[in-house]
Amino acid sequence: MPGEISRRTVIASAAIVPVAALTAAAQTPPPSALSDAQLRLLAAFVDRIIPKDELGPSASECDVPIYINRSLGDYLAAEKPAFIEGLEATDAFARRSQERAFIELTPDKQDAVLTAMESGNAEGFANARVFFNRARRLALEGMFGDPYYGGNKNFAGWDLIQYPGPRLATTAADQKMGVDIKPYHHSAYGGSGENHGH
Amino acid sequence: MAINLKPVDVAVVGLGAAGGVAVLPLARAGLKVAGIEAGTWMDPAKDFKPDEIHNNVRGLVTTVPKAKQEIPTFRTSPDAKARQAATHPMMNAVGGTSIHYHAQSWRLKPWDFKTRSETIKRYGASLLPKGSTLEDWPVSYEELEPFYDTVEHEVGVSGKAGNIQGTLDPAGNVYEGPRQREYPMPPLRTCDYLDHMHKAAQSLGWKPFHAPAAINSQPYRGRAACAYHGYCDRGGCHVRAKNSTCFTTIPEAQKTKNVTVFDNAQVTRIVADASGKVTGVLYIRGGQEYFQPAKVVLVSSYTYENTRLLLLSKSKAYPNGLSNNHGQVGKHYFGHWDAQAGVGVTALFPMDINTWYGAMLSQGVTVDEWADDTFDHTGLGFIGGASLCTYMEKHPIAAASMSTFGRAPAWGSKWKQFVHENAGRFTGAYLQTNSFPYENTYLDLDPDVKDPLGDPVCRVTSGPKENETRAAVYAQNKMEAWFRAAGAIEVIKGQPFGPALSTHTYGGTRMGDNPETNVVDRWGFSHEALNLGMLGGSVFGTSGARNPTLTMQALAWRTAEHLAKNWKSIAGA
Repeated sequence: MPGEISRRTVIASAAIVPVAALTAAAQTPPPSALSDAQLRLLAAFVDRIIPKDELGPSASECDVPIYINRSLGDYLAAEKPAFIEGLEATDAFARRSQERAFIELTPDKQDAVLTAMESGNAEGFANARVFFNRARRLALEGMFGDPYYGGNKNFAGWDLIQYPGPRLATTAADQKMGVDIKPYHHSAYGGSGENHGH
Repeated sequence: MAINLKPVDVAVVGLGAAGGVAVLPLARAGLKVAGIEAGTWMDPAKDFKPDEIHNNVRGLVTTVPKAKQEIPTFRTSPDAKARQAATHPMMNAVGGTSIHYHAQSWRLKPWDFKTRSETIKRYGASLLPKGSTLEDWPVSYEELEPFYDTVEHEVGVSGKAGNIQGTLDPAGNVYEGPRQREYPMPPLRTCDYLDHMHKAAQSLGWKPFHAPAAINSQPYRGRAACAYHGYCDRGGCHVRAKNSTCFTTIPEAQKTKNVTVFDNAQVTRIVADASGKVTGVLYIRGGQEYFQPAKVVLVSSYTYENTRLLLLSKSKAYPNGLSNNHGQVGKHYFGHWDAQAGVGVTALFPMDINTWYGAMLSQGVTVDEWADDTFDHTGLGFIGGASLCTYMEKHPIAAASMSTFGRAPAWGSKWKQFVHENAGRFTGAYLQTNSFPYENTYLDLDPDVKDPLGDPVCRVTSGPKENETRAAVYAQNKMEAWFRAAGAIEVIKGQPFGPALSTHTYGGTRMGDNPETNVVDRWGFSHEALNLGMLGGSVFGTSGARNPTLTMQALAWRTAEHLAKNWKSIAGA
């Protein structure tokens, strides 16, 4: 039957990829997903989500844009066009509503742009609220994820929320309430984790 | 053409929580077994890291190509068009979902097996959930008890008995059914937060306890004790303290030399002859199709795949799918009303509770007062309830994504200040509601969405349920009272919306004496294809208010043992 032949062709191409092969593929550094201008805009954006203040450094000082850029270059490659469209819509909306490029606005006016997006009141987006929430979510992943993936520089994200760090084993003392647990500044992949992963 | 392999006695389709247990009694009985698994062996040193992005954000332990390509579609009404979900609850690996599960290892209650008759007896038939297809199980708790006991010891479960042969001990769950002896290991370690919640529950007059877990609280059979490092959820255990079947019953079965594991082997069809007997399975490995002849086939994939495989396996004897001449395959499906169904509760405390490390639900404290038929339901308008559990283990991205409880904006410096103070002060509770099968809740094949082989994916139809919504809200109010008694300053209760795709799913090949309403008999064998057995959640008729895995494993052991003892009559049927 013709149906049988095409089914067999499909079967031949459906070999299951071993996990080891996927891991090996992840060793090659991906090309930059975003342009320099897009990276500057992204840095300004995430620095309003996580600004520099008395509690610590900003998102860009912690390399959050590097995390997002790397992710869009490999694991989130399918999402890259929509993300770039969102960044460009953010800038276009800033120019229309505040009469300047996003990166040239004062922090207050940048916040006004983001607030309009967050509340779904910004025009020119496929869905402003969805893009805002996605960008915020990726900023949190970059700030509070393992530095292996490019962000959370100097473990500043973990220090901000007082997460004591991933360990291979913990003791009863590590689970006590009302005591300060000494932060363990180590990546799950060893050392500071910087620039190892993607 | 498919390559014909050497015949075996038993082909087991899927080496997860259930199939991975069944191979052991089969192998010990001297039967030659082919364990056919779509995934492969995972390496604890390489694959299981304390890495939230790897495990939770990207789901890389659980995401393997086969499951990802077969995500079921979902709809809430038979009139609606089903849409494919973004993520899937299945996993392919030797060990299956027992690799990344939370390992709570409960026995169901005696009531769970006879919910229908007990409800009629105590409250009258009018309290039975409207539209449900609820039946008593053909197996009682008492009949299953020896198999629970065997699996607790073979797999390794830590816990404290609450009822040994009728003698109650409030250090354990006094509402459990009687068990013949104590657990093989004491419960996992307690800690300040759990002790705090323990006292709060006692202040309400409740009887809190540490739930049983298939995680070693002390070295057990050559494997290490739990390291409590806090990456149990969606991750495998780096020290093999979680008793996933790839570390326990599967290697034990391999020692007999009677089991051959075929990994990366995707079963596509179960083959039946004109007489209605199954003759083996077709699978694809490395792009080549094979036929594995077997005298008996045990299907032990995930609930969705168990139904899909039967429906895809059409033949002259079974024109509507294997073992489906009564039209029952896919029927009586239901998901668990738990956190995945919106039945969560979150609390904020005024002090640091330090729940970062631990072993998820398995290092937790549970209250069972408001589950099952433990309390009087007269006038409440529902049956069942939920177990309440609060637990250890919190990951940093999830913590920073916490609700601000209306006390701060979601970004900027005020948000930073909020998460700085409160990320260590909030936690959640896990509620599992007694859930039941209904007429409007079933599985079939999607008419449009196909996998890369061109086979339709499973379609899930799961309509609204009044009984479970009421039970869940009732239990959430109890959980709020517990958190408030412990000093919580804010409590948020989720809106129960009902299960969509879930890691706790049941039915589709339900077990029962009546072939008009059930696919398999009381031993787990098909009413139609007598040498076909079904293992896993797909045979359950009720969920209980607790995690299903230990019951799947006890039933799997029982089915396998029944097969070995009745080999001639079943294999020759």
